[in-house]
Amino acid sequence: MAEVVLKEVVKHYGAHIAVNHVSLTVGDGEFVALVGPSGCGKTTTLNLVAGLIPMSGGEIHIADRLVNDLDPKDRDIAMVFQNYALYPNKSVYKNLAFPLQMRKLAKPDIDAKVKEAARVLDITHLLERRPRELSGGQQQRVALGRALVRDPAVFLMDEPLSNLDAKLRVQMRSELKRFHQDLHTTVIYVTHDQLEAVTMADKMAVMSGGFLQQYDAPDMVFAKPVNTFVAGFIGSPAMSLVPVQVVRKGDAVWLRSVDGWEFELSAENGHKALSATSDKVVLGARHSTLRIHKSAEPGTVPGRVYIVEPTGDVTFAQVKLGASIIIVSLDPHFPIAPDEPVFVEFNQNKLHLFDGETQMALAAA
Amino acid sequence: MTDATFSSRAITKRPIDWWRWSGRVFLVFLLLFTVLPMVWMVLTSIKTQFAAMQYPPQWWPAEPTLQNYARLLDPSNSVGQEFLRYFWNSFYVALTTTVIGVVVAVPAAYAFSRFRFPGRTFLFFSVLLRNMFPAVVFLMPLFLLMRWLGLVNTHGSLILTYLTFGLPLSIWLLKGFYDNIPIQLEQAARIDGATRFQAFILIVMPLSSPGIIATSIFSFIGAWNEYVYAYTFLSKQESMTLPVGIQRFFTEFATDWPGLMAATFLMSVPVVVLFLVLQKYFVRALTEGAVKN
Repeated sequence: MAEVVLKEVVKHYGAHIAVNHVSLTVGDGEFVALVGPSGCGKTTTLNLVAGLIPMSGGEIHIADRLVNDLDPKDRDIAMVFQNYALYPNKSVYKNLAFPLQMRKLAKPDIDAKVKEAARVLDITHLLERRPRELSGGQQQRVALGRALVRDPAVFLMDEPLSNLDAKLRVQMRSELKRFHQDLHTTVIYVTHDQLEAVTMADKMAVMSGGFLQQYDAPDMVFAKPVNTFVAGFIGSPAMSLVPVQVVRKGDAVWLRSVDGWEFELSAENGHKALSATSDKVVLGARHSTLRIHKSAEPGTVPGRVYIVEPTGDVTFAQVKLGASIIIVSLDPHFPIAPDEPVFVEFNQNKLHLFDGETQMALAAA
Repeated sequence: MTDATFSSRAITKRPIDWWRWSGRVFLVFLLLFTVLPMVWMVLTSIKTQFAAMQYPPQWWPAEPTLQNYARLLDPSNSVGQEFLRYFWNSFYVALTTTVIGVVVAVPAAYAFSRFRFPGRTFLFFSVLLRNMFPAVVFLMPLFLLMRWLGLVNTHGSLILTYLTFGLPLSIWLLKGFYDNIPIQLEQAARIDGATRFQAFILIVMPLSSPGIIATSIFSFIGAWNEYVYAYTFLSKQESMTLPVGIQRFFTEFATDWPGLMAATFLMSVPVVVLFLVLQKYFVRALTEGAVKN
């Protein structure tokens, strides 16, 4: 168990900066998810922590030890790869034993540890098989077992579930979470699936373009996204973002769209909107905070239903407000049809406002 | 039972595929074309000198004899001494070429596959440049070079030459192999406690052994069979390799067809044995990467 500290970590390939001055602290026993779209630098960051690629700048500390110049084998880490990276010419038993052999443990100790890991992961009956004779889920467990068997200070996981089919992925997700709850080991987990990050992690680090955008507990990231990127990335379906203009009408502050619709902001939101660097702001609203009315009511905005997507528990409606589309969740029994004119009400308490120029969240001044 | 009758009817009903049959006829013809000379070689080698010269020929030797082989393999007479010396020379040259080739090609191919270094692409294609010209073009330049180096009439000259011809192919073949081994396997090994070198030896090498075996066969056979360079570089009788040495047999014992055929047969034995033992690796190596997984 150990704390992992990244200080101003930089990695560039020629002119391309893959990881740009990323600093974050993973507490002892914490489960931290690095999440972001493809090419955001999350896997590169993980490889830097593992020591698989050289850093261009910054410091990485694992368990109060500066590891910049240490080989992967000396960092006391274990890693689970997306493609599992099981040694194809070794049996499951030998795959699990390999990390112990490399650390020159005595044979009886190796045997005991391999059997224990196999018991925990319920793969005892597979020990004599070769990796290619296993199903995806079984390979996954063996990969986990190979990481687990050595009792490392930090677990690094690179999209370990993304090669599994949907049902197995959900099951393994719960098992991984349970496994972390039991062991309380430090875990750094890379995923492009924000749902995995939200459901499993104690904290999530949202990355984009090599930058760390936001690092916080999942509920905080969900409730208070720091910018439009995080707002649009976290949540499923994502937050609807609409560029609008701030207009003053006497004391009141209104938001007006280029398409002509407008509504008045509450006093608090008005303050926020006025703190923007220009009159351009981005309005953000999650699907669950929006309400649909069949007739015009004060404060509502007219729109037209574009697509209705029933999912069983909840129905999502995409509503066109002029040129922009927003997503609203509805009770499955709510009568609604495509191309129907509707009126959308924004919940002023759960509305997000972002600066139109900097894309950063606006706070009440 | 009903299944069986149904399927057999389905087969008989199918119209004759002329395209397929003409292919088969062609293959049979090709097979006869390649196998008949070898059969004739073996048959002649077990004939007596007299029987070999008879006309019309004896299709099957009336008195089969292994006397020709016994003579070639008997170190107590001059013919046997010469033959065994050529055989040993060929074996020495081919084996040394193969061993040095593998020792050089494995790290080179690995580096081309895994590392990005300045001049990598240029170097990789310049390795291929040699293969764009027929081997004969290099005969005189290499001879002059070898004379300047003082290597004429040594096996070193042949080993060097065969390496320059064989290495590009070995490196290309092996690079394809390393490209197909996921880099994550080495990364996993390094995290599991191996050094970079241990990861290579313990994880990558066993996985690439089919490729290494295939390239070894390639370079061994290439060196074993090569004639023109051996003929040019070697003039001393005691250093000659088999292809050149057998030619000496031909001139010295111009009428000894059975002896010549026996020598030829013995020369082809190592190659055939190598192929038979290792062919599954060979085929795997040539088709590797054709289909993912």
